[in-house]
Amino acid sequence: MRARRTPILIAVAAATALTLSACGGGTLGGGDEEEAGSGGPIKIGLLVPQSGVYKSLGDDMKAGFEVYLEEHDNMLGGVEVEVILADEGETADSGKAAADKLVKQDEVTVVTGVVSSAVMNGVVDLFETSKIPLVGSNASPTTLTDATYIWRTSYVNDQPGEALGAYVAEQVDGSVYFLAADYQAGLDEVTGFKRSFDAAGGETADEVYTPFPGTTNFQPFLANANSSGAEALFSFYAGGAAVEFVKQYDQFGLKGQIDHYSAGFLTEGGVLDAQGESALGTFTAMNYNFDLENELNASFVEAYEAKTGLKPTTYAMASYDAAHVLDLAIEAAGGEDADSESINTAIGEIEKVESPRGTWTWSEIGTPVQTWYLREVQEVDGTLANVVIQELGEL
Amino acid sequence: MSGWFNAHFVSMVDGVAYGLLLFTLAVGLSLVFGMMDVLNLAHGTLYLAGAYTAYALSDGSWLGLLIALVVGLVVGLLGGGLLAAAVAPLQGRGHLDQAALTLGISLIAAEVMVMLFGAEVLPTAPPSALSGSVSVLGHTYPVYRLAFIGIATLLAALVYLAFERSSVGALVRATVADRDMVRTMGVDTRKVLFGVFGFGAALAAVGGVLGAPIIAPGPGIDERVLVLSLVVVVIGGLGSVRGALLGALLIGQVQTLGVALVPSYAPFLLFGAMLLVLALRPQGLFAPGRA
Repeated sequence: MRARRTPILIAVAAATALTLSACGGGTLGGGDEEEAGSGGPIKIGLLVPQSGVYKSLGDDMKAGFEVYLEEHDNMLGGVEVEVILADEGETADSGKAAADKLVKQDEVTVVTGVVSSAVMNGVVDLFETSKIPLVGSNASPTTLTDATYIWRTSYVNDQPGEALGAYVAEQVDGSVYFLAADYQAGLDEVTGFKRSFDAAGGETADEVYTPFPGTTNFQPFLANANSSGAEALFSFYAGGAAVEFVKQYDQFGLKGQIDHYSAGFLTEGGVLDAQGESALGTFTAMNYNFDLENELNASFVEAYEAKTGLKPTTYAMASYDAAHVLDLAIEAAGGEDADSESINTAIGEIEKVESPRGTWTWSEIGTPVQTWYLREVQEVDGTLANVVIQELGEL
Repeated sequence: MSGWFNAHFVSMVDGVAYGLLLFTLAVGLSLVFGMMDVLNLAHGTLYLAGAYTAYALSDGSWLGLLIALVVGLVVGLLGGGLLAAAVAPLQGRGHLDQAALTLGISLIAAEVMVMLFGAEVLPTAPPSALSGSVSVLGHTYPVYRLAFIGIATLLAALVYLAFERSSVGALVRATVADRDMVRTMGVDTRKVLFGVFGFGAALAAVGGVLGAPIIAPGPGIDERVLVLSLVVVVIGGLGSVRGALLGALLIGQVQTLGVALVPSYAPFLLFGAMLLVLALRPQGLFAPGRA
């Protein structure tokens, strides 16, 4: 009797463990709340992950924002600001709760940050109905095209792919194999890539999506890519999956045989150290790299390195730019008299932003029109780094 | 045929490596459940603890790996002992209480490990002598995974022999078959239970130390390997070393060769295989005969 029933029980337990683990996201640690008198400094909500899998991105964005404030004596547009930190966590629910708290309880004037696209989708209504501007500095789903109060200083999810597609179509003499994580960002990236790739006459070997986040072993997928006869591979992975993917790409002998192209996150920030020499020779497209040669970038990199000991990532740079956008907008909106509505109007009227990535302008949907760069992972003075090889044009 | 074999050779070899890794996890779970009737949902936590141990202590040298193995073994034994002591008062109170307790322990342990090691996946380098790749019949394959296959095969053989051929193994098998009868014969079955719990936990933690370069430690890995080993136990049948071994090797192939053959069905293969076994042979494919 027991022998027949117990396996079913275990099966139920397996399913339960799966479900529960999905709810186990850390939501510890609220925000740093500080008392502020009304009529005092302008309150800015900084909504970034302080826990969970995106914490390192959140740390970069927080540091980038703080570097700008430190360079400007904690003043934006001539007014002192008070930054209220809220933990986005890793799920849409935790992010939305934190955004709610910033808007309703802390009564902030503007909000910046937001790492996860799921959170961004979840908070659109909140910001649109409460008419509080959100100057997002990372998440930018392709579906977000008609918001009035939501701006992004990063890029739309499908743009790194789109920037790279035409170049790869010209460069690669043969077919290209596609491997991407099976969720919205992976689909967006491949769709963007193929838009310019197909138009330039590129040839597709196969297009495969790996289960996300469950895949830790890419060997079967890499084996198929290897035997497909493709000349190059385009992939989309970020975070821990990016580390595993790049290492296994090397271990199973694809490196050196099949050129590897990807969106910039594959080798951005801390993951590159974890990938080690396996990452050498990987080509990625990104809107920024710390080695760009312009004056503003030089001072930004210096200040950021002094503060964190690290080279700035695109996440840190976008957050630095968000502070810059707010600086310009608050000043244009009248400094101390600025409110949410006037700041939002002023943001839209900004003609161009001088940025460490170069100068950019607003697109019709409130995202930057900017130059894209092709980077290769190389060894520079004994450490691995992304090195800009050439420009990929403006997008 | 040879073309097919050639294309999927690496997947099959890798399936063996994966299967053996799963075996080190599943065998403890299977015996503890089959024997003590205890459902230990904190089993994956032991793997993760072992994997983090490997990350913290391995520095690319053989000595580092050895120290990590010893520490992992101790961590596993301690963890197993603590878990056995924690579930002991729940004897006879049903699986739900045990599941709630062990799952709670695993969630707390997971948070603690995030606090200690951060929320990133931490890729763990094998000893530098094993870090490259070699050509196996014309295919590039990581040296470490080959070495892992060797060590894990040895480990599996030892466990199998100890369980099937030694007197202690006979005692364990007897306890699985009929606990009350063993107790009647004057054996303190609680000692056997503690021993098996500790042994299974130590094996899972050692699996974690050795498996860290293959399935790297990170948040959520505990649940992922737990689910995999639960599926292995369902497929292999409860309370049997042979069942756990064959079930693990089968799931290893499903997860590599199966995925390579039908990549678009990758998310369904694991549970599809479990569903099939549950429908056709609910006691498990390789369940030991018992009354």
